Amino acid sequence: MLSRSPFLYFLTLLLFKQKSKHLGIMSISVVMIALVSAVLFISSSLQKTLQDTLDEQADFTVTRIEAGRPVSTPLAWVDKIIEIEGVSEVAPRIHGRYFYAPGEESFLVVGIDFFDEQGSKALQSLLKGIDLKQFFAEESMIVGEGVKDFLQKHYYKDTFSFKTPRGEFKKVKIDEVLPGSLNLLANDMIIMPIGLAREIFGLKEDEVTDITFNVPNDAEWDNVIGKLHLVDYEIRVVEKREVEKAYENLYNYKGGIFLILYIIALLTLMLILYQRYAMVYSHERKEIGILRAVGWSIRDILKLKFYETLILVISSFVIGTVAAYGYVFVLGAPVLIEIFLGGANLENQVQLIPEVSFGTLGSLFLLYAVPFFAAVLIPSWRVAVIPPKEAMR
Amino acid sequence: MIRIEDVGKRFGEGENLFEALKSITLEVEEGECVILSGISGSGKSTLLSLIAALDRPSSGKIVVEGELVSKLPDLHASAYRAKTIGVIFQHFNLIESLSVEENVIVPLINSGLDMPAIRKMAEQSMQRASILHKASQDVASLSGGEKQRCAIARALVHDPKVILCDEPTANLDRENSLRFIETIQKLHQAGKTIVVATHDPLFEALPFESRVIHMADGMIGKHGE
Repeated sequence: MLSRSPFLYFLTLLLFKQKSKHLGIMSISVVMIALVSAVLFISSSLQKTLQDTLDEQADFTVTRIEAGRPVSTPLAWVDKIIEIEGVSEVAPRIHGRYFYAPGEESFLVVGIDFFDEQGSKALQSLLKGIDLKQFFAEESMIVGEGVKDFLQKHYYKDTFSFKTPRGEFKKVKIDEVLPGSLNLLANDMIIMPIGLAREIFGLKEDEVTDITFNVPNDAEWDNVIGKLHLVDYEIRVVEKREVEKAYENLYNYKGGIFLILYIIALLTLMLILYQRYAMVYSHERKEIGILRAVGWSIRDILKLKFYETLILVISSFVIGTVAAYGYVFVLGAPVLIEIFLGGANLENQVQLIPEVSFGTLGSLFLLYAVPFFAAVLIPSWRVAVIPPKEAMR
Repeated sequence: MIRIEDVGKRFGEGENLFEALKSITLEVEEGECVILSGISGSGKSTLLSLIAALDRPSSGKIVVEGELVSKLPDLHASAYRAKTIGVIFQHFNLIESLSVEENVIVPLINSGLDMPAIRKMAEQSMQRASILHKASQDVASLSGGEKQRCAIARALVHDPKVILCDEPTANLDRENSLRFIETIQKLHQAGKTIVVATHDPLFEALPFESRVIHMADGMIGKHGE
């Protein structure tokens, strides 16, 4: 086709023969696109993982509070909550952070019983493939990857000794380590039989940390919240949608910072481009003047510049996004992921699950392509409309 | 045939107004060779750029091959430059990053011809300008004389009826200047209408029939008479 179409031939000829002219701008563009795409990929992957996790969480979690501070919740509330119309899958939980003072880190301890495991979809997904009979038969625990690494650093290989509120030490065997793919949710998690967790937290037989349940009909949520306050005045209700919003805000906030940086970088690039075409690059002016002098019309010039820019924009966008995809989903986004997971308790080796939002990528393309085209075509047009003799000077 | 009627060209305005051409009237017959001579700033290059429709006159009209070029809109002016005229510039005005052949084909890119036809025409034109042996060489590495021949090949590639040369020997040594005059002679013999703007005395006594018109202060005649 190139050997037949003179325009395509000339377009590729100029691109290849003048590649040094385009390489600088293209390299900056690729880095910019790669950086922003990487941020978008990380953000959407984390949001997807969290969304999947949250989908499996109970709709409501209730805790007893005293003077506004969460305290142990009476197990008897379970029966009262079950009686509320529209409520299902009520499950008591023992669930809280255990602070390990020598290492200055804390773990999330989750106590489960066999029936609870049957009821909670989230726990089911975590414990898939683990021999639970053996797990419940002895005093052992299942730990996340981050916990295992941390304990090993502190010379705990197969067991760990918890200090109970009574000042006694409780030695618990490490039964299994959760796979790395669950790190976003379970990196700092310890799962153990409910009785053992109760002992470590110093709770009585009729006490739990909180109670979870579902309300399948969304329209009933506000009614149920009203009725919960009749169960006990000192009750704190956490809705799943509030947690969702909190996470969404967190990642949107972090992604937003990058977006602002991107816009600043983009404006700088466009300014450089505009200057290059408008004033600084006399070479460019002369070339347009020559083309005009030998019979090219303004329309021909703009057509050439449009296709030249189109190739540059598309190729730099594709290279940038493919590089970002590799960086995020193959290499695991080293360095950048720390910004998103910064503040996490234990060092977290999160495996990012590929999730690409084509809508967002499309918007990014437009945000990049439109100013790029404007920065090239407007000054090119301004040069093309002046007398060729003046442009060639 | 070129007919120039009462053409004026002014630059700037108010106190900065400068009249580059003052009421020029001139006729160039088909197949004629006209030498516009005069010192720098006499207006000969400006007149040439108006004939080439590279600029527009402030007043008067220019008719080339029956077409009123002084008032052509861009699209038609471009088509006129692409079909009727070939321009050879003082500074060659070649695209330095391209080879000789690639420069020569530039005027034909939007002609509607396919690449094999364009390549054939370029080859013929390079042959005519004696630069075919350097076809694949980058223009940046050529000597002044070779660049001039490349510019000639580009000006001739679409076989124009009118050839306009703006100070064609200003950047050439004597040997290359004489070679250029030889090329002009061949083009004249081939029936092309040629207008050369120059202050090179070599053009005062050409070895073929030509008309020398002196220009000064934007007017025709040694002292503007």
